[in-house]
This record gives sequence, C-alpha cells and structure tokens, in this order.
Amino acid sequence: MTTITTPSDLDLFSDENLTDPYPAYRALRDEAPAVWLDRVGCWAVTRYDGVREVLGDWERFSAAQGVGMNDEVNTATQGTILASDPPLHDTLRGVLAESLSPRAIKSLSGSISEQAHRLVDSLVEDGGFDAIGQLARVFPPSIVADLIGFPQDVRPRLLPWGDGVFNALGPVNERMTSAMPLLQELYGWVYGIQGSDLTEGSMGRAVYDAADRGVIDHASAPQLLVAYTAAAMDTTINAIGSAVWLFSTHPEQWDAVRADRSLIPAAFNEVLRFESPVHVFTRVATRDLAIDGTPIGEGDRLMVLYASANRDERHFGDSADEFDVTRDASDQLAFGYGLHGCAGQGFARMEAHALFEAMADRIERFEPAGTPKRHLNNFVRGLETLPVTIRKA
Amino acid sequence: MKISVDRTRCEGYGFCEEKAPTLLRLDSDDELEILSEEVGDDQQDRARLAVRSCPVAALRLEE
Repeated sequence: MTTITTPSDLDLFSDENLTDPYPAYRALRDEAPAVWLDRVGCWAVTRYDGVREVLGDWERFSAAQGVGMNDEVNTATQGTILASDPPLHDTLRGVLAESLSPRAIKSLSGSISEQAHRLVDSLVEDGGFDAIGQLARVFPPSIVADLIGFPQDVRPRLLPWGDGVFNALGPVNERMTSAMPLLQELYGWVYGIQGSDLTEGSMGRAVYDAADRGVIDHASAPQLLVAYTAAAMDTTINAIGSAVWLFSTHPEQWDAVRADRSLIPAAFNEVLRFESPVHVFTRVATRDLAIDGTPIGEGDRLMVLYASANRDERHFGDSADEFDVTRDASDQLAFGYGLHGCAGQGFARMEAHALFEAMADRIERFEPAGTPKRHLNNFVRGLETLPVTIRKA
Repeated sequence: MKISVDRTRCEGYGFCEEKAPTLLRLDSDDELEILSEEVGDDQQDRARLAVRSCPVAALRLEE
C-alpha cells in the first residue's frame, strides 16, 4: 500500500508505479480531489468527478499550452489538435470527424470484421500465441496503416513512433529523453512528405486535401498526420492486449461474453475502465478556481488521471477494482470526454467489437502461458508480451 | 426542462438515443434528431442520462 506522507514524495513515473499505478492512485484519491506533486510541479486530479469536470470545461481548463508535462514538447505542439482550444481546435477536429465519425466509418465495418476473423482463424491453429506480438500489435496497425494511407517504407516505424510520442509527452525523465530522437525522426518524415505521398482517398490524404481546400492551414496537415499516427496505434493496441490479459485471468468473464454477445460493447467499456490505455494528459487552469474545494491557481498545470478516475470507488462503488463485464461502465473516461474526447473512439470500438466477436467464435478459453511482461511508457499502459494458450471453440 | 444539441460537436455516436429513445434519435443519415425539445416530467431522468452519455458533450439541458 502506498502511503503519501507528503504529496511531493510520489513519483508516478517510476518503474514501480508505472508497473502498478493503482495503489498510488488510490492513495492520491484518498488524499484529496487534487494533489500537488512537487517532483513534476503540477496537480494530479484524482477522482472521477474532478476529471470529468476538467475535461468538460475548456474555458477554465485549457489545452492550448500543451497537454504533456515538459516545456519542450508542450511548446513544440501548441496549435495542434490535442493542444488547442476553440475555435482552432474545432476546425481541426472537423477535418478528422469527416473521416472518423461513426457515420463516416460505417461502411468499413464489414471489412474490419473480415480481417478480425482472418487473423483469429490463423492464430487459433497453433493452440497458443503471444497476444501482444501476434495479435494486439498486428490487428490495429494493419488496418490503420491502410486507412491512413502510409507508404510501405515507413510502416515498420509506426509502432516505435507512437510509443515515442507518448513517452515524449511525459515529465523530463529517461523515458522522455530517449524518445526525443524518435520524435525527431517522425517529424522529419512528416515534414518531408507531400499529400500525394499518401494513398489517394485515405484518411491521411483527406487531411492534405482539406489544407488544399483552405479549410485548415498547410502547417496543420503534417500535425494532424502525427496525431493520427500516435493516437491510432498504442491506444487500441494496449486496449486489445489488456482485454486478452483480463479475459485470460478472468475466464468466467469471457464465458459471460461468449454466452451473451450483446455484452461485447459493455465488455469493451469495462476493459477500458479497468485498464485505461492512456493514463495522463494535462490541462492548464485559466484562472484561480477550485476542484471540489481544493484551490488551484491561475496558470497551474493539472494532470488528468483518467485511469484513477476509472477506478474511483466514489463513482464505481466498492467493486471498482473488480473486472466485471456486466457492469454499466458506459461513462468510463478512457476516451476522455467533451471537446477533446477521442476522435477515433467510434473506430476503436469497431475494431475491438469485431475482434471480440471473432475471438468468441473461435476461442472457448484463454489460459496464461507464462508471465506477461509489461511495457513501460510515461503516458500509456500496456504489455510487451502476453503468452496464452487457448482452447478452441 | 429543455434539451438541445450543439451540431458543431455532435458526431453521431448515438449513445443518447439508447438512453432516451423517446427524446432523441439518429435519422437515416445518422444526423441527430431531437424528437421533443421540451422534456416532460416523466422523461427528466432519461434526458439527464442521455446528456451524460454523450462522449463529446454535445447535448445540453436547461432546467
């Protein structure tokens, strides 16, 4: 059990706390709705209600000064879709929504379901697989790389780039500094290409077309491509990896999903609640204010702890630390909420639901086959390897 | 109580329709249609759930 003697003692980004952050989150929630963390020089917003309040009010909690935790990246990313407020944000968001809103992606559902079945069919033959290396890191990237329209030669770089972006947003630590060369490589590529380098008709190309039509600045096109690259990979990869891990360690929950397929959307919400892929983004208070009675100063930076909010007993009850696919977790906050709520969440849901369906068709039981290894990253949570054996349905 | 939608924010997720099908509906083009702007006394809980379910905070209630 983590004990907070003074809030400044806590390093949320230590290997220990990244491996298992939940005891630290609980201690922070019990301490106060907002706790000042001296090591990183900002507030942690700890509870569900506070996190929802911050995300829902961009006028008091601005993203325009960056959503990371170091000055270098916060300055460099200003004016991007993540690090902007209205009206600029809404213009950029509009371009993504044209490709990503539920109505825009409706026609993709058949092909994604087919790809999910094909992948699962190939995996079950061997009786076991690494659910990260052979499933989670294969399924979203293979779909997304085509949809965004990346040229073949950069595709092997997408995973390291995505991981690098989330490390680079963190506080200045070893993980952050090691990620900077990856970020430079990503930006070097993105600023060296033209729209015509991306597949015609792809989501990535649409961003450059929007710049040509004058909807957005030409400078915004490469930035939106970076947003796509980062947001489409580690998030769904980690969600899918965590899902298989949870289903392998809670076989009765997988039985429930298989017995009633209408539970699949709720099961995905519960996976996201229980193991939120993105743990942190930040906002800056635009005035003196209070979060549930804790005074915050104008200009103070606040860490929005999505994963702590999603485990908050005050909101999800005494069973908040239990994985239960029958729970109504539809108001979980892993996709964020409000203005900056994940623009790709309809697509992420489509990918995960298709994969859960395909796995439910072919896999009766997942069994852990060895100890899973965690992949540590400053802002996202997931696994490096997850060996499982399966019993075929 | 009145319910309204900010059309620049609504992206058509449809969770509100699941929570309050008598008040809100996605039409055949997946555009949100407000079936009844005025929320009757017996519909207020549903309306609150619907507003809360919107992932992009596009719905608003005036009490």
